[in-house]
Amino acid sequence: MLTDHLLSLTVAAPFVAAVVLLLAPDLKGAAAKTVALMGAGASLLGALAVWINYDLSQGGLQLAEQYPLVPAYGISLHLAVDGWGVALLLLTGVIITTGVLATWTLEHREREFLVLLLVLVAGVYGVFVSQDLFVFFLFYEIAVLPMYLLIGIWGSEGKVERGGPLGFVWDKLNIGGREYSAMKLTLMLLAGSAAILVAMFAMFHAAGGKSFDFSVLQGFDYPEHTQLWAFVLLWFGFGSLGGVFPFHTWSPDGHAAAPTAVSMLHAGVLMKLGAFGVIRIGMMMLPDGAAYWVPYVGAVAVLNVVWGALSAMAQKDLKYIIAYSSVSHMGVVMLGAATLTADGWNGAIYQMVAHGMMTGLFFGLVGLVYHRAHSRWVPGMGGFAHAMPGVAAFFILAGLSSLGLPGLAGFVAEFLVFLGAWQSAHAWWAIPGIIGAFITAVYVLRVGRDVFFGQGPPATFHELSDAKGSEWAALVALGVCLIVLGVYPNVILEFIAQATSEYLPLVVKGAASGVAVLP
Amino acid sequence: MLELTPLQWAQLALWVPLLSAVVLAAVWPLRKAGGPAAGVSLVAATVNLAAAAVLLFGWLNGAEDVRHTAPWLIGGQGLIELGVHLDGVSVSMLLVVAVVAWGVQVFSLGYLADEPKAGFGRYYTWQSLFLFSMNSLVLAPNLLQLFLGWELVGLCSYLLIGYWFTKPSAAKAALKAFWVTKFADMGLLLGLIVLYTHTGGFEWTATTTAATTVTLLFFLAVMGKSAQFPLHIWLPDAMEGPTPVSALLHAATMVAAGVFLVVRAAPLFAQAPLTGEVMTWIGAFTALFAASIAVVQTDIKKVLAYSTCSQLGYMVAALGSGAVLGGYFHLTTHAFFKALLFLAAGGLIHAVHSNEISHMGGLLKKLPVTGWTFIIGALALAGFPGFSGFFSKDLILEGVAHQGQWVPLAMLLVGAFLTAFYMGRVVFIALLGAPSEHAAHAHEGGGSMKLPLLVLAVPALALGFFAGPVAGLWGHEYHFHLGWVGLTASALGLAGIGLSWVMFAKGGAQGLLAAFAPVGALARSGAVDRLWATGYRQGLQVLGGAIAWLDRYVIDALMNLIGYLSLALGDRLRAVQTGNVRDYVYAVVAGLLLLGAWGAMFPG
Repeated sequence: MLTDHLLSLTVAAPFVAAVVLLLAPDLKGAAAKTVALMGAGASLLGALAVWINYDLSQGGLQLAEQYPLVPAYGISLHLAVDGWGVALLLLTGVIITTGVLATWTLEHREREFLVLLLVLVAGVYGVFVSQDLFVFFLFYEIAVLPMYLLIGIWGSEGKVERGGPLGFVWDKLNIGGREYSAMKLTLMLLAGSAAILVAMFAMFHAAGGKSFDFSVLQGFDYPEHTQLWAFVLLWFGFGSLGGVFPFHTWSPDGHAAAPTAVSMLHAGVLMKLGAFGVIRIGMMMLPDGAAYWVPYVGAVAVLNVVWGALSAMAQKDLKYIIAYSSVSHMGVVMLGAATLTADGWNGAIYQMVAHGMMTGLFFGLVGLVYHRAHSRWVPGMGGFAHAMPGVAAFFILAGLSSLGLPGLAGFVAEFLVFLGAWQSAHAWWAIPGIIGAFITAVYVLRVGRDVFFGQGPPATFHELSDAKGSEWAALVALGVCLIVLGVYPNVILEFIAQATSEYLPLVVKGAASGVAVLP
Repeated sequence: MLELTPLQWAQLALWVPLLSAVVLAAVWPLRKAGGPAAGVSLVAATVNLAAAAVLLFGWLNGAEDVRHTAPWLIGGQGLIELGVHLDGVSVSMLLVVAVVAWGVQVFSLGYLADEPKAGFGRYYTWQSLFLFSMNSLVLAPNLLQLFLGWELVGLCSYLLIGYWFTKPSAAKAALKAFWVTKFADMGLLLGLIVLYTHTGGFEWTATTTAATTVTLLFFLAVMGKSAQFPLHIWLPDAMEGPTPVSALLHAATMVAAGVFLVVRAAPLFAQAPLTGEVMTWIGAFTALFAASIAVVQTDIKKVLAYSTCSQLGYMVAALGSGAVLGGYFHLTTHAFFKALLFLAAGGLIHAVHSNEISHMGGLLKKLPVTGWTFIIGALALAGFPGFSGFFSKDLILEGVAHQGQWVPLAMLLVGAFLTAFYMGRVVFIALLGAPSEHAAHAHEGGGSMKLPLLVLAVPALALGFFAGPVAGLWGHEYHFHLGWVGLTASALGLAGIGLSWVMFAKGGAQGLLAAFAPVGALARSGAVDRLWATGYRQGLQVLGGAIAWLDRYVIDALMNLIGYLSLALGDRLRAVQTGNVRDYVYAVVAGLLLLGAWGAMFPG
């Protein structure tokens, strides 16, 4: 039966497409892109099939598959999906498909580019459905490492001026360059991975050293001191990918240097792996560690929200603005996680999806503008709406979602997170969270005005034109997702809430395990 | 005749405008055709008007309240619902919105006829979206849905103020309106969250110990939406939008949403006397402050905009004093006469291609329908006895007097005098004054620009005589009674009109103009505006710059320093690999010794 292997097929689809591209060097241009699109589209169909086949009334882990890998250490390719996974698979499918569509104009070594992109996304799918910590980590690294080449080879240069008390460092490192950005991103994320690895083996040994399976590691009652230090390692390790302050600084440079599809995928999905890891591994497997550290995790998260938003306000490069806004919005995810409430957790997972779609749309649009204007420098722009009304409309749409306008996905997520924050032990967290959303309104709409409104575009921009063909498809798909998720959240919220109701009691003793069910 | 239940009518009122907006947004050839798009939107507005009229008729005849909800969000404490709530309060507001929106859409056919087709289609798309948003606010069964509609009308306001987005001033005004209201809306959002945490829901009927906190937070949002001092600054700028938009959003309906929120949440506000006190003072001050500024404005739309701030101040003061009937009735009458004034002003502007009242002059003869309906609106606004505004303003003043709030009452009375005076000024200069050269070729607009004026003039003139049935709709009783407060207000109103006649028709008492000089200076200085702009530039912007600098040159530099140090350390450590076997043996021995020492110090 197809459904027996649905998860492995979904994970494999982009990988198979990558192998096809690798083995057929003659595939070039549109043909290569079509193969990539088929791989991405197949995985999206797989994600949709998972969404349809997941039985809500039953809940729990479903569509399980298990293939032993290293029986001596209890490592197996154990795939299964829970309610969170359903939502995150959908996100991944939408982002990779639209990412390939939005990058149709790429003309430099596109075959190699697509191979790396597809391998990366196979890793992302794998993380969301792994039920074995070792395999989880393996997929995690597969998702992170191709980024180095993708940015280093296909990236663009940013402009960062020398300055500050530690300016002498500038002379040694070519700050702002694409090699620099790629190297920085990779090194910072690898430092995180090292921390994860240590915590992972510590947990494996503490739990008897017989199995890496989630079911074994999750139920084990680790000694308190192990929980305390291992949680910190996991928070740092996964958090650095999730953009947690102060380990977020790879993100603006990395996103700015990355080509369009990579930015879309990286901000749209990859950063979510980090936040997901903190919740799924850190909090759920180490509940005492979580209980001890959440006040700090939450405080750092609200700092993220406000810090990212204020930093975004001062940026003048279009990509840096969106990158810092991602830092701010990922703070909302971590804030929701730290509340340890049902609303907060639902909001956190919802924000992963909402922000993924929104930032995917943003980076897609910025890529379109950059491709036509050959500039990302906002102060030189203006009146672009004359030449690209569609792009302008979608930019405002994405902006409205990011500032939390009801009717769009971002509102549902932020509202749930703030509700959760006020119910948590640290009600004040909600206030900087809400202020962050206001600051977002300030900078996002201001950028919209500076770039798109006003008199016709300056004469230097003579190649401006609206989106075309496949680009339209990407914009419309993401825009429709934002609206659907904003208007009828239960498309995925039912699934998310189902998993939350199962998982929260593992972390918070006595948390209600029931979930409100739609009639 | 269609046999529909009230709920079905309400759903028609809600979904048909939304359908229109979605169709116009998605089917771009239709939108870009212009005229047909307006047709679609107008059909929706007409269906909406019919539905609202049927519903109001039903409730005037004592229909039972209807509440229908469906789950929307899965909350940790149960399902969070949206839906429709039909009672006297929502049904009457629904009709007010329907009438004004319909009139505005008809009026815009003529007013914006010269616009490019694509822009015309876009305009009607936003108009339909606004109608849906406002209806979802009005029909809300709980405060969460009210908030959703509240934010959506804010979006429509942003889109419609920025309709002429190529004009930098319009793009700026749209942004300012959105920012200021969004700033205030943080209060509503937080208030809802606090309410939910305390009561497990978003009901306005809830009883809670946190009522003062919740209502104060709500009131912050009301100050933003309903343009109360010192958050009124966006409303005058919002006049950058097309005049019919000002009539609909920035006079009659959207800005009144703040007042509507307080009316809806009256049971909550009743639990918070402190909030009431704050509201009375801020409302009364705004009423007086904005009226004084209106006196010195020369742009007819700015006069009306400040007048709107001022009148909203009356409503807020009334609600703060517990005079819910007065506040809500004034909202209703004001919606009609202020929309009428704005549309008529639009007709005058259309005729002379200028907003300056000095460029008008003697237009009554050239535009009799527009001119006379403007005068009807002006008299209603001035509280001229018998006109609708007279009755509603009287209720407000009686309510404030009843609470013994003498200082606010005095402010409101002076405000009433100024209101009559500034409206008299506009009428005597623009309509009855000496013709200016701009007005030489002025002529009346087409039928689409006259019909809405005539329709709106009826309630502006006569709604006061139906105060009894309207009050009944809301579960209140109304008996006409003219006490000393009402007599004083009427006398002051007449005095205001008289003084403006002396000054602007007869050219007398010019010395008094000097008395208004300080107000003029204050208005021109834009002191409040400047304060906010300073907060934005010296506060938020500078903070943003500082944080971005820290992020780049301290936080990130530290990360880079770590990278740099590990490079440097790697360089040094390379020296350890000497390739000399003896060095390695020494190292092994040293290591063993250290391990031995460790074992000796910590046995076991």
